[in-house]
Amino acid sequence: MRRSISIGFALAGLLWLGVLAWLTTRVPMRDEARDWTGSLDPGGWMAWTFPAALFFTIIAGLLILFTWAAIRFPETPRRGVLGITTTRGDRLFISLLGSAFICLTWLGVMGTPVWGGLAVALAYAAAVFRWV
Amino acid sequence: MDKPVNNRAWFLVLPVLALVAFSAILPLMTVVNYSLQDTFGNNQFFWAGLEWFEEVIHSDRIRAALGRQIIFSATILAIEIPLGIFIALNMPKKGVWASFCLVVMALPLLIPWNVVGTIWQVFGRVDIGLLGYTLTKLGVSYNYVNDPVAAWITIIVMDVWHWTSLVALLCYAGLQSIPDAYYQAARIDQASRWKVFRYIELPKMQGVLLIAVLLRFMDSFMIYTEPFVLTGGGPGNATTFLSIDLVKMAVGQFDLGPAAAFSLIYFLVILLISFVFYTVMTKEGEAL
Repeated sequence: MRRSISIGFALAGLLWLGVLAWLTTRVPMRDEARDWTGSLDPGGWMAWTFPAALFFTIIAGLLILFTWAAIRFPETPRRGVLGITTTRGDRLFISLLGSAFICLTWLGVMGTPVWGGLAVALAYAAAVFRWV
Repeated sequence: MDKPVNNRAWFLVLPVLALVAFSAILPLMTVVNYSLQDTFGNNQFFWAGLEWFEEVIHSDRIRAALGRQIIFSATILAIEIPLGIFIALNMPKKGVWASFCLVVMALPLLIPWNVVGTIWQVFGRVDIGLLGYTLTKLGVSYNYVNDPVAAWITIIVMDVWHWTSLVALLCYAGLQSIPDAYYQAARIDQASRWKVFRYIELPKMQGVLLIAVLLRFMDSFMIYTEPFVLTGGGPGNATTFLSIDLVKMAVGQFDLGPAAAFSLIYFLVILLISFVFYTVMTKEGEAL
């Protein structure tokens, strides 16, 4: 059973990499260079672009990774500095939600680009996984 | 001996997952895509990056709507939750009157939002409405059409009338599930009415109260139809809440990009506050 689960997640991981590669091939060309913000499906109602697709691919990848980790390395919920009982999945949710607000705050105070906000969000996520 | 685990049952979740994907995840993905682009229609999009998010964050109009929304949600929660608990505590526990009260309490919940708005719109009119006409005849200055304070009071009273029943019924269900043994023990200890409420009834209602607070918060934070029918967001922008502003932006002005960015921030705010409510209330539940 454990073997079949591992094989299933390995396949999911490969599929994830395949989707990422496929998305990269869909990026349109403009002036003989890749237009990373161009439409992936011109005329399509969902209006996909590479950055948005990459964002959702990363979220999907995180969900697959954490599901696999929850099965492969079962854990006991723990109580951290916030005094609430959390699992790895809870901490991922807190990290993602907090990161969204960190990036929005950065955008409101410092403006674009938000790489600094992203760095702060990554540091925040690390802190959440360490201490929450 | 290891207990066998069969995870194949998870496949039974797939139909729900498919439904959620089509009804929630795909539309949400589309909103994210729209929030990063500009369009003039005909499915032609142009990259805008985070421009719309910046615009929304710095918009005085949206900040004002958010402020009104927070005041509205805080006010109705402060009224409906204690009032609902009070009504539930005073409802008969059994017999014909219990059934009668349950039916009466359920009635407002059966009325559609737009009908509730229309009822109160007519009820509050100073020329033909029972409430508006009576107050005017009594010499009270009341006109929800041109007075922001009257408009706010009418919307809050309307919401309390419509939704306190939900809180009361949930609390009533929580109270009904308390075994008599708890009350008998309290009587033996000669506990006061307040102590019975504080140490028996309130902790036992924790679960249903959490649901009531979450439902009422999320619903009030997204309120659209009732104030739209009653005041249309007026007078001026006095009762323009977030969802009314969002619809004006998305449908009235066809600013899909800013509206998408606005709705994502709106969604994140609701998610954050609901998470905080849930965490705080479940933590308190564990402590009790």
